[in-house]
Amino acid sequence: MTDIDQICSVLDRLTLDALTLMEEQIQIKLNIENAMCGGETHLAKSRYILGQNSVSSLQLPTENSPEFDAMTTVHLEESDEFFGEKSRELEVSKKEDQIDPVRWFGYLVPQDLYHAQSMFKQALQWIIRGANVQTNLIQTCNKIQQLKELKKEVLASN
Amino acid sequence: MALHSAMKGKLISVIGDEDTCVGFLLGGVGEINKNRHPNFLVVDKGTPVSEIEECFKRFMKRDDIDIILINQNIAELIRHVIDGHTSPIPAVLEIPSKDHPYDASKDSILRRAKGMFNPDEMM
Repeated sequence: MTDIDQICSVLDRLTLDALTLMEEQIQIKLNIENAMCGGETHLAKSRYILGQNSVSSLQLPTENSPEFDAMTTVHLEESDEFFGEKSRELEVSKKEDQIDPVRWFGYLVPQDLYHAQSMFKQALQWIIRGANVQTNLIQTCNKIQQLKELKKEVLASN
Repeated sequence: MALHSAMKGKLISVIGDEDTCVGFLLGGVGEINKNRHPNFLVVDKGTPVSEIEECFKRFMKRDDIDIILINQNIAELIRHVIDGHTSPIPAVLEIPSKDHPYDASKDSILRRAKGMFNPDEMM
């Protein structure tokens, strides 16, 4: 097997990987859309019960609000020590001094607001998967680009 | 393991319409840091494009942010800035919104990946 054959076979494999990742990415985005749609429907129901401006950006913290930490964060896990590849994982932590964001909208909130919260948490799980797939896709595309340049060099030297 | 638990996780920031921001903040991603800088921006009809662009660039510079979520219709307004971002961190994820379903043909990353399969490029 010559150099050029080896390069071409790796390029074929990487191209197939890239196509699979693209398909996976589109599917994940559709799942995010479904989860967000469900969440938005529950937000609308909460708005119907509590009033138009009771579930809006007016209740969100502003620059003048006291500082608080995020409850949902991302951790980078080393998934492959040899190649130094990292994957993201969602971490939910609740400290004693942190209040549930649902409380921004009142203490007697409808059940729909909790349903909306769980739908958006589900969307966040898909988002983490989407971010991992996107990183893999970018890396695969970069490898394809490098190999194409190498192929051109080998072809030119022959 | 001890190091892992001591490390603070990275943030997910949101640039989106009211429902997107309210929803993801309910999910617990919101934060106001010591400098009183939030990690989200609610975009409405009156928000100037320059403010969105400035906020996006500010999020890009912050090293505590790992993922930037942006509604695809808002991403369209600052497409030139998003196309210029090629590094994997922070990951910029274009998400659909209530009024604008997801369109894969507009996604920066997928367009870049698709560009690799042009017949001229394959040679």
